Amino acid sequence: MNTTLQPQVLGKTGLLSELRAFYAVLRREWVIFIRYPSWVIALLIWPLIFPMMYILTARALSGPDGSGLKIFMANTGANDFIGYIVVGSTVWMWQNIVLWDVGFALRNEQMRGTLESNWLSPTWRFSYLLGATGTQVVSMFTFILITALEFGLLFGVRLHGNPWLALLVTLAAIPSIYGLGFAFASLVITLKEANTFVFLVRGLVMIFCGITFPVTLLPAWMQSIAQWLPQTYLIHGVRAAAFANASLVELLPDLAALLAFGAFWMLVGYFTFIWMERRARQTGAIGQY
Amino acid sequence: MSDFAIEATQLVKQFPARAGTGDKPLEGEASQGPEKKRWQFWKKKPQALFTAVNGVNLQIQRGEVFGLLGPNGAGKSTTIRMICTLLEPTSGTATVNGFDVVKQANEVRRNLGTVLAGERSIYWKLSGRENLEYFAALYHIPAAIAKKRVEELIERMEIKDRANELVEKYSTGMRQRIAIAKALLARPPILLLDEPTLGLDPQAARNLRELIATLKAEGHTILLTTHYMEEADLLSDRIGIIDAGKVIALDTPANLKARIEQQEIIKLEVSGWQEYVGEKLRSISEVSSLVARQQGEADLWEVNLQSHNSRAVLPKIVENISQNGTRLVNMNVVKPSLEDVFIHLTGKALRD
Repeated sequence: MNTTLQPQVLGKTGLLSELRAFYAVLRREWVIFIRYPSWVIALLIWPLIFPMMYILTARALSGPDGSGLKIFMANTGANDFIGYIVVGSTVWMWQNIVLWDVGFALRNEQMRGTLESNWLSPTWRFSYLLGATGTQVVSMFTFILITALEFGLLFGVRLHGNPWLALLVTLAAIPSIYGLGFAFASLVITLKEANTFVFLVRGLVMIFCGITFPVTLLPAWMQSIAQWLPQTYLIHGVRAAAFANASLVELLPDLAALLAFGAFWMLVGYFTFIWMERRARQTGAIGQY
Repeated sequence: MSDFAIEATQLVKQFPARAGTGDKPLEGEASQGPEKKRWQFWKKKPQALFTAVNGVNLQIQRGEVFGLLGPNGAGKSTTIRMICTLLEPTSGTATVNGFDVVKQANEVRRNLGTVLAGERSIYWKLSGRENLEYFAALYHIPAAIAKKRVEELIERMEIKDRANELVEKYSTGMRQRIAIAKALLARPPILLLDEPTLGLDPQAARNLRELIATLKAEGHTILLTTHYMEEADLLSDRIGIIDAGKVIALDTPANLKARIEQQEIIKLEVSGWQEYVGEKLRSISEVSSLVARQQGEADLWEVNLQSHNSRAVLPKIVENISQNGTRLVNMNVVKPSLEDVFIHLTGKALRD
């Protein structure tokens, strides 16, 4: 046996070191995010642009005296049509941005060439996705806050309810929105390209979840599809909490549905990741651009 | 624990082949009649496979620099990727410091520092220091120790003045130094360096070779892949020559060269080279191998011949070359190098 003195390994794996690694991923994502200055413009402009399209369409269709808006509000039960549209369109943008940001987090690392470099370390590999998600959650909640401020200041949108309950519903939606993102991120590593899937998911949310209209307006078969999409409950719950003064008890069905979907999508996301990680080791997909 | 730093036994890696490139016929495809094919229309076709690594055996001693040498596509990087747990072997086993690369992958990762080929293994939008701090956390180095270790490596790699600048502003050589510092962070006993001098200028490559020699002196085991013969010759205690997924020779550089000591190497520089001239030279009975390659853009070719008897063969070479516009520009009879060993074993040049 060769008796050459070997260097002693410095690292030691444990829960604390895994948490430090997770924080390092989160911090890295954040530092890189803010080093691309265009994010400031995106964060200020995008919250306005997408809802404006629907708001201006609604104004144009409401007639010269705006009577159409009264009919719209009667149909929807909303007392502020702008707030009603902003909630739906913001949820759509949230899911859309998560699919691009979280969904392509690993793919972007792969194309940058750093994915293999990360996976050579003994850190739990799911941390890379969780870290990227943590940064995305922070930037997305900043996005939502800016949306609320801009529409409050520029369009006079006022809440008629409890903002904390609206926040609670939003928080309850995190597992389902990001669980889908995890599953998507894992598939993208294998498929390399997944734009079609992004368009499909956001199209489903746009049509079935009632981003600018009540789901009850849809035909019965479409309503039965809508009830399988967590975004339907998120939009309904936030509108009820923020603009219809709904109580916690009234929000319980939405909260329960969101948590159940959250558990489901988190499991799907995690196990898709495990499957992809194993498959990538077998096929070498991690190093392929 | 295994006596070896790295041990691979009958390591095989197969990938699904692209259409027409597989090395195995589709199982039973030829024997199926049209009737059977129709009924199996909905069934998944058996996958054609391409074998990138084909039964590699390696036993690398602790403290040794082992060079894995071979042309592009020979299976060097696939072997490295299996050893560093990025790829799972199709069959066979490999251990790193006694840990199995499949069953104890995390232990393997703790014991390895890997520098993969290419300069994109670090974040260009982070500074050199931020990169090292980030990877120190990934290697589970406690915060206080990590801070000292990062400083130590920044000093060692001579990047102190620019450690806080973004990596995108660094030269290729500086990026490679950060990549090596990253591999050294956790003080791993074993280092895998995949083409570490690729793309570096001569001075940076020389500095890196000196660093590799120092790391060996500090007790690191180093598995180095390269297609630079001189580099492998200079740095390696032993060399494995890999071609078409198989280790075709494994010994010390001196012993490998001694294998063809009785051979004489005739190096020619020829202008206006024609392939039929090569065929004529190959047909000379004293010539055992011939490889020709163009030098740069000019119509100048380097022709490498091996022979047992240069005195007898030289007049025949001159006679065959000097005709139909082909002209002999220069000629030398030299001692065999590792490249000549490679040509002798495979019949082709390393950089083909």
